[in-house]
Amino acid sequence: MSLDCKPAMVERKEADDQPSFREQFCVPFLLRAQNSDGGWGYRPESESSVEPTAWATLALRQKAAQYPQVIERANQWLLQTQRTEGAWPASAGDPGCWVTGLACLALLDRANSPGAEILKGLQWLSDSWPAEGNVWWRLRQRWHKSPDTVVHQDHALRGWGWTPGTASWVEPTAYILILLRNIPERFYPSGTSKRRQLGEKMLSNRVCPGGGWNAGNPMVYGVPGEPRIGPTVWALLALSDNLNRPESTASLDWLERNYQHISGPGSVALAHLCLAVYGRPVPPLEPRLSSLYMENNFLSNVVVAAWACLALGTVPAWLGSAPAMEIEA
Amino acid sequence: MSYSHSPLLPSFSRPASKVAVRRASSYEDDLEGLLWETLLEFNPQVRDKTVLIKPNFVEPDAQGIINTHPAVIRAARDVFLRLGAKTVVIGEGPGHERDTEGIIEGLRLRDYIGRLEGVFVDLNTDEVSTVPTRTHASKLKKLSLPRSVLSADFVVSMPKMKTHHWVGATLSLKNMFGIVPGNCYGWPKNVLHWAGISSSILDINSTVRPDFAIVDGIIGMEGNGPIQGVQKKSGVLVMGDDPVAVDATCARIMGLCPERIDYLKRAALLLGNLDEDKVEQCGESIAGVKNPFDILPAFQGLRA
Repeated sequence: MSLDCKPAMVERKEADDQPSFREQFCVPFLLRAQNSDGGWGYRPESESSVEPTAWATLALRQKAAQYPQVIERANQWLLQTQRTEGAWPASAGDPGCWVTGLACLALLDRANSPGAEILKGLQWLSDSWPAEGNVWWRLRQRWHKSPDTVVHQDHALRGWGWTPGTASWVEPTAYILILLRNIPERFYPSGTSKRRQLGEKMLSNRVCPGGGWNAGNPMVYGVPGEPRIGPTVWALLALSDNLNRPESTASLDWLERNYQHISGPGSVALAHLCLAVYGRPVPPLEPRLSSLYMENNFLSNVVVAAWACLALGTVPAWLGSAPAMEIEA
Repeated sequence: MSYSHSPLLPSFSRPASKVAVRRASSYEDDLEGLLWETLLEFNPQVRDKTVLIKPNFVEPDAQGIINTHPAVIRAARDVFLRLGAKTVVIGEGPGHERDTEGIIEGLRLRDYIGRLEGVFVDLNTDEVSTVPTRTHASKLKKLSLPRSVLSADFVVSMPKMKTHHWVGATLSLKNMFGIVPGNCYGWPKNVLHWAGISSSILDINSTVRPDFAIVDGIIGMEGNGPIQGVQKKSGVLVMGDDPVAVDATCARIMGLCPERIDYLKRAALLLGNLDEDKVEQCGESIAGVKNPFDILPAFQGLRA
């Protein structure tokens, strides 16, 4: 089922006489916050970083025709920031890490084949295994007190970590699965299909009892973990190509129940977007976001503004279920 | 300046430390008056300085037992301003939750502090500089740290008094995990786990040693802390300019033996005083406020 047919689920105010909150605040904020080098920092006038640049690009790309130069400058910054091995760093000079999936997603033009830089990033992601479950890790478990007895999860199901050489976690795995869903399998480097399957199984394995996800430990010392909005949203969006997974249904129910209690604008926007993607009824987002904006100006956070833009616009094509070129065709 | 200016003194050449234990039965008490009176005894040199308060915010917490209470943060902020600080910034990089604004709104921090823009810094997404660690207890060797922390003149660690299911107790030293930015290290900051939690605590605190610690033990957490435990009312604030001595005192109040908490034992080598003989206690006596915390079976060996 293609999710591209669902944009009506998301409210829109562009057609109204009054400029929408998105057009009046979010988009101008993002446009003003772009640095002269083409990237975005987490806050205006801070150094460009990959994550805010990727989210701002994805948010503004919904209306790319209006801001072609903005998008082009952002793409150039992302291309210049890629490391020689294909990964992207969180900040300049750092090693490659979780933001690689977001950078690839931001650069991906769904109407065309993925470019060489994306394929290089994909290769790095495919080769980048988390450290849990490898031979050394298993040997250590035999000699030391095993975390297996503490956290009760299947460490053979490996996704992706935030940083190389660490464990799998829900959010980075979800970001990369969303990227992979947007690239036809014929472009996958060897072994990537298997990694995608493992990543999906890992997410299913890490769901909290009763639904929803936290960072990635659903049970610690026998106590069920408390789900969190962000990981739940991203896991659901990563698994949205199959709407009938039992863990997805339970998690959507949890998200729906907790929607009214969310206190942060970033989480409100993400939850709204996710419920809309799954076709669940959601109350209007704009009044709530504009009210939260009045409190703290989103703490001038570029990522939050970008998520607000995404949630207030049409469901972006990259959150659809089918690979890119098959949708666009 | 906190970064690199605090000497790392071996235990034999270190003078005694002073730790204050004050009773506070609730968050409605006159906490500002209590902190003012106590800080005058320590006379912290903050005039015209930038003070960074580092509370412990982990994730949304409806029961109010996970995160440092905003009433204590407000009191500390007001007192440091009264002491002549040029700026007092509140900075935290929550370890489990990316939606920092969601946590601080859930805490109602704004009700206590006022408008947060420009006052609160999300350390998870602050600009960073990479610095070498001043000790090499872990394999980290260098850390990307927020510039708001590195540029602060005076860092105050303000944790909640809690048990911790990996290291026994989380107090002012463990609280400094929160200065490590999630943007670079993830949510949770899993690099630090793989580098060894105790060793990472030492490297972080040697590199940015808190100049002062104020532990919120009015209501803490026992059992499966730091997020899945249960409420523990201890009714104390524990303060001092030696974070090791403050944490050791808290451990003793919690009914734990600080010498058996790995990171505290190791911190005593270079970072501060652990030995009770080298801690000058003021305010309440430990015996007078001791209130043993329930701990997980795996940590029964830490019992005093």
